[in-house]
Amino acid sequence: MSGWKTTISRRPVIAGALALFGLAIGGAYEAGLFRARPKGPYGDLLSSLDDLDDAPIVGRAYLAETKNFDAKAVAAQLRTRLSNRSLSDVLNIDITGNQIAEAGGWVLPETLALLCALAASR
Amino acid sequence: MPIFTDARAVPAGTTIDTDLAIIGAGPAGITLAMALANTPIRILLLESGGGEYEEKIQALYKGSETGVRYLPLDACRLRFLGGSSNHWGGWCRPLDDSDFEKRAWLPYSGWPFTRAEIAPYFARAQALIEAGAPVYDELKDKMDGQIALGDGGVYTSYFQFSKTRGDVTPTAFGERYSADLRRIANLQLMEHANVTGLRLAHDAKSLDRLDVATLSGNKFTVKPKYAVVAAGGIETARLMLASNDVMKTGVGNGNDLVGRFFADHAIPRNTATLVLFDGKIAPYYKTTIDAAGVHFRATFSPTESFKRERQLLGSLTTVENHVELDALGKAAVAETASALGVDASNARAFALGCGLEMAPDPDRRFTLTNERDALGMPRLQLHMTIADSDFARYRETIKELGRQLLAAKTGMIRLDRKTRSEWLAVMDWGNHHMGTTRMHDDPKQGVVDANSQVHGIANLYVAGSSVFPTYGSSNPTMNLLALTLRLADHLKTVFR
Repeated sequence: MSGWKTTISRRPVIAGALALFGLAIGGAYEAGLFRARPKGPYGDLLSSLDDLDDAPIVGRAYLAETKNFDAKAVAAQLRTRLSNRSLSDVLNIDITGNQIAEAGGWVLPETLALLCALAASR
Repeated sequence: MPIFTDARAVPAGTTIDTDLAIIGAGPAGITLAMALANTPIRILLLESGGGEYEEKIQALYKGSETGVRYLPLDACRLRFLGGSSNHWGGWCRPLDDSDFEKRAWLPYSGWPFTRAEIAPYFARAQALIEAGAPVYDELKDKMDGQIALGDGGVYTSYFQFSKTRGDVTPTAFGERYSADLRRIANLQLMEHANVTGLRLAHDAKSLDRLDVATLSGNKFTVKPKYAVVAAGGIETARLMLASNDVMKTGVGNGNDLVGRFFADHAIPRNTATLVLFDGKIAPYYKTTIDAAGVHFRATFSPTESFKRERQLLGSLTTVENHVELDALGKAAVAETASALGVDASNARAFALGCGLEMAPDPDRRFTLTNERDALGMPRLQLHMTIADSDFARYRETIKELGRQLLAAKTGMIRLDRKTRSEWLAVMDWGNHHMGTTRMHDDPKQGVVDANSQVHGIANLYVAGSSVFPTYGSSNPTMNLLALTLRLADHLKTVFR
């Protein structure tokens, strides 16, 4: 096999490595790893929401129709609900269990409404 | 004798003998006459109007209203050949099983028979209204694009429509069946014949004769062996209440039930907003279409089990026009879709309309006033009511629809009405007049018995939706026709 030689150019290797790094960074961003945890006492809960801009708007509508909203108690309740479960799973449990809330007439899974209310309470 | 005659040409003071007098040539009266065609029964069908709308005749319907705003009594029905089928929308759907049930939580509920009693007549009723083959909810297996809903209490239901293709309006019974009526040898149809009195025998146990008058001043008498009042859900009660010479409270009104329990389908507008995350909606949700050999439209209805479990009444929910969302709506959709992991970048919103069943209410009633019409008949006053619980029940149904949309991740719902004033501000009515001569085995609870015979009066019957003790959410026309066809079979046995 003399004369036969496998050669690897450095340039494509570097380009490939950069591409993989970029994908990893992008994936991590999508997964929220580089996203700043929301500030405030409920940041740990609100980090489960992708859309923190709209949440307070919904939350204010919920609070406008809810008497005696105890944010600390709700937060404690949500921490229990969300421990070892994804938000998606908890919302599915709400929906199938008829744990439904209203915010300005919008019919929402209760946990989502409560998270929005906490976002509005910060 | 010609089959179509005019009461204005009958010599004053005449007495006309007949086997069966039918008062009113609307859908019920015409159907009854046609169902008894070619029998030995001599039928006289008395119609107040002629073949066309006439203002002076229509004015006989004028009355007044108190309570919740309702439609003017001379605008919500029509008084000429074909009756209110001259302006109906053609919506058709048989009543549900649960509509006939006695429900412990719903006072005054319960028909004297189950749906099975009139089910054999639905096919003929369907043919009369020209709504094609009765497929209804079978369409769910045939149509693409049905909105996905999670398991729950609301489903996509289907209404079929009376012949409404192109510029053809729903079946107007007078125009459509005029030629058929003319071919019935045992029928005489008399136009411009206003029955102004149901005159009982002195013992009040049978009908003796009918007073008939015309706007031209003619008066004469009809002496039938049997009579069927088929004058519509309002006028039937008026005629019975006004015929108070022997029974001082009115014919069949010994227990103060005639005119009470009036009902219509409440049709509040823009009751809710539907958002579909992918923005796609099949056309048959928004309008009527022709497919599978029928003309139909999809609606949302509560299931039988959901109604029973949650103690709800019937309703139908329609998807109406596209609407824009406000800032809260956009935020709610974005937040919810994101949390559910759904793309809502193409989401679109639609207003929802509805028709909802009312709970029976004896205080929702017609009474006679001192005002008289051109024939000397006392005019009616309606006291209209609607209960907060009627709104609440419907709201619960729509909330369930919202839950099921979330479960399927297809969309969401905004409930747009909450307070009574919000509901009443958008209120409209279906012009489905029901309940004023309700059916019950017990004379203390109903005006007519299970055969539609007025309790205690051997030869007087009522046809039409005034006999409905509860109302369902299906439009009444097809169902009252089925009941009328059943009555025709009963009358055949009576005359045998």
